[in-house]
Amino acid sequence: MTGPVGIAIEGVSKRFGAVQALVDIDIHVKAGEFLALIGPSGCGKTTLLKCVSGLVAADGGRIVVGSRTVTGPGGREASLVFQDFALLPWATARENAEFGLLLRGAPAAERTAAARQALAKVGLAGSFEDAYPSQLSGGMQQRVGLARALAVNPQVLLMDEPFASIDEQTRRILQDDLLRLWSDERKTVVLVTHSMEEAIYLSDRVVVLSPRPGRVHRALDVPLPRPREALDVRASAEFARLVDELWQILKKMQ
Amino acid sequence: MKRWLLRGTPLVAFLALWQWAAWVPVSFNFPTPWQTLVALSELLGSGALLQATATSLQSLVLGFGAAMVIGVPLGLLMGVVRGVGRVARVYLDLLIALPSAALIPLVILSFGISIVSSAVIIFVFSVPFITMNAYGGVRDTRPRLVEMARSFGASWGKLFTRIVVPSAAPMILAGLRLGLSRAFLGLIVAELLLSPFGLGKLIMISRSMFEHDKMFATVLWTLVLSGVALAVLARVETRLLRWRAG
Ligand SMILES: Nc1ncnc2c1ncn2[C@@H]1O[C@H](COP(=O)(O)OP(=O)(O)O)[C@@H](O)[C@H]1O
Ligand SMILES: [Mg+2]
Repeated sequence: MTGPVGIAIEGVSKRFGAVQALVDIDIHVKAGEFLALIGPSGCGKTTLLKCVSGLVAADGGRIVVGSRTVTGPGGREASLVFQDFALLPWATARENAEFGLLLRGAPAAERTAAARQALAKVGLAGSFEDAYPSQLSGGMQQRVGLARALAVNPQVLLMDEPFASIDEQTRRILQDDLLRLWSDERKTVVLVTHSMEEAIYLSDRVVVLSPRPGRVHRALDVPLPRPREALDVRASAEFARLVDELWQILKKMQ
Repeated sequence: MKRWLLRGTPLVAFLALWQWAAWVPVSFNFPTPWQTLVALSELLGSGALLQATATSLQSLVLGFGAAMVIGVPLGLLMGVVRGVGRVARVYLDLLIALPSAALIPLVILSFGISIVSSAVIIFVFSVPFITMNAYGGVRDTRPRLVEMARSFGASWGKLFTRIVVPSAAPMILAGLRLGLSRAFLGLIVAELLLSPFGLGKLIMISRSMFEHDKMFATVLWTLVLSGVALAVLARVETRLLRWRAG
């Protein structure tokens, strides 16, 4: 695998009919950076991720992932992780994890090996492989969603509120697992969230989008030490101070 | 044990009611369940019933087979190409709302009294349900799954075979089951009204000769036949959709 790549979002705007979703967005994500994107509901966070993945064509501006200018979906640099997991209900955990590779025409043996490996990385090895999504808890379903994203070995993970519909206890475990994965795999991550704690706990930098039409309102660096999952960072005064700083920014923006 | 009690009770009640109806009797020459069973074994022994069944099944396979082969792809096409769906659904809704039996004289006029007529009627009875279900199945496809597949660069063909068809599968299978029960209905209606062949003919002949036990036996046989066919299809359905059992 090649190393992580950066993302350049330059002057991106998007309008849906009468709704101006995004205006002139400029964000540069460094290679290997963990970036959190936060902002009020409907400000265009999902739209921005879809623009980066190529699912939605921006009206203006330019998006470059690594060395490739995004012109449509299917680029091999980035994988999406969805809030509602987007698992195939008729496929087992392993088949779901294989799905990206299947669509890209990988041979069966290679698919299975990569899916097993990805499932192991997210802590779902063994007997869970043959479970259907309906037999798995929300947390485990999202692990499968993450395994599917990882199985194609992307350099970038685009995560749209991945833990929003998961209960608090499980969410914290998943957050720690994600941090561990991120430091092991050195991927670039863009994570959309509406949780201030989550943004501060996970990321190197938080970008705050303004209410619709979404613009970049501010960026906040998060200089907390790593590995945060091992350092009990949530209990630190610095963590609380940063969450409060983010809250002040969001509050004044309303 | 409890399950068998639950399943057996309606059957026992039905047989008791039947026995009572024959004992009254509610009409001239009303056969008891036992007499019907004896007649059934005679009909089976003589080969008359099996021969009629073979004839009827021929038109059923022809009519239902055509409905399946045409209805499922048509429904999928309607779901994928919006314009086709909007136009075709009007006619299919009409076909569902109309009493299909009213079309029988037209069919006879066009195809004469033959197995083909019978098959056409079966086709007309079952095809709208099969098609509409496949159509509905495609429309039930979660857009999020399409999005997910597209994000991995899925081609149009892969989207169709890997997302749309499996998404529609539960509705398609339910449509086939509904279509099959409608096909049996069409078969009996067609044969009672027009055919000098098949199970319908056997029913009509025994009625005209006041052999009510044989008539009942044939009706019972037909019910069992459709019951078995539907049960087989239901089994296939649970097998294919075992991911649904959470
Ligand atoms: N495909 C679409 N068609 C029309 N409007 C859309 C579409 N996608 C998003 N929007 C609108 O764009 C705005 C931003 O949506 P979204 O990106 O989902 O916001 P967020 O994820 O921040 O909550 C919303 O007002 C939404 O209704
Ligand atoms: Mg969103």
